[in-house]
Amino acid sequence: MAVPLTAYLIVGALLFGLGVYAVIAQRSAVMILMGIEVLLNAIGLNMIAFWRFVNPGDYSAQIFTILIITIGAVEMGIGLAIMMLLYRNRGTVQVDQYDSLKG
Amino acid sequence: MSFAEAAEWFAFVILAVISVAGALGMATTMSMFRSGIFLMASFIGVAGLFVLLSADLLGLLQVMMYIGGMLVMILFMVLFSHDPGGSMMADMDMSLIERFFSLGLSSSPDKEGMDMERHGHDGMDMGGQGGHDPMDMGGQGGMDMSMTTPVKRWAAALSVTLGGGLVALLLLRPAWPTTDTTPNPESARMIGELLMSKYMMAFEGAGLLILIGIFGAVLVARPGAYPDRDARDAYVTRDLPPAPIDEDPPPSADAHVPPEALEEVTVSGAHRDEAGGPPPQNETGQAASESLDRDS
Repeated sequence: MAVPLTAYLIVGALLFGLGVYAVIAQRSAVMILMGIEVLLNAIGLNMIAFWRFVNPGDYSAQIFTILIITIGAVEMGIGLAIMMLLYRNRGTVQVDQYDSLKG
Repeated sequence: MSFAEAAEWFAFVILAVISVAGALGMATTMSMFRSGIFLMASFIGVAGLFVLLSADLLGLLQVMMYIGGMLVMILFMVLFSHDPGGSMMADMDMSLIERFFSLGLSSSPDKEGMDMERHGHDGMDMGGQGGHDPMDMGGQGGMDMSMTTPVKRWAAALSVTLGGGLVALLLLRPAWPTTDTTPNPESARMIGELLMSKYMMAFEGAGLLILIGIFGAVLVARPGAYPDRDARDAYVTRDLPPAPIDEDPPPSADAHVPPEALEEVTVSGAHRDEAGGPPPQNETGQAASESLDRDS
């Protein structure tokens, strides 16, 4: 038998869990952005797996995945620009040291 | 099981292991640069899975966008922040996995334990340390190992619960109504036609979003966005051209060096005697720019 849909979805779920772990546990903003990229990858993998196995005649899923990749690129660019600014002002990229708004 | 199915399973298992292990290494290694490389492995694995799912165009886009674009940005940012060692979670429950993915990073376990113990005492003055202590940067093996985070077992527990719950739900659920029809091999053409007809507005909107994103990134990261006058002055001073290197020996060479840089010259001169560095004419200009850098 060929590779079933559930196998791809399990890979996507594992990637999602690891991405959530990276976003929560890391302190550096760069690492948090990396975790977000892994989350977006997991979502794209799920979407493509569903497209392939449920409705391969409709290519909208691939277009949504392309849009996800685009938005991920824009988010990464702006996030890194903000991080660069914060680094030049504060000298660190550790997110738990940006606590000046904490009462 | 036919040969094609066996090959498909083989490719699937290898690509799935690459992508999941890459993500695991990204999340757990202690070196930030190394986690960027692990992230690249994960992206390549997911791109291979896309190709295996007969979405060739997306596999190609994945490699070009994520690896060619975003990963370069990430690695640039890692190097820009002078923190390639990172400050990962050396004190966590998952230390076995971390040790595995961080092989060769820690010079000796004794030093690491000592750093952790020391940091247990002065965990409060992390702000002063900031991770950019020259002492920390100098260390070879246990680079930045002193910046251990507080234990985040709850994060690991939460994500393991989430991932395990998702997998359990997937395994418990009865199968989706899948079809056996194979997609059109000319999927790139179909995607292009859809992008130009049905999803035209989404396409244009994505273009506008990228344009605004470029403007925003340039606006945010432009030089000169400094909060106060001192920082701006320091920036301007740092960008002055370095002091010219004179062929003639001093005292004429020392005329343009500011007095505070002269101290630096003597100090670094002592260093140079130990290290056996370059000749003293070069040292003057370098020391001056170094002291300016330190002031900023």
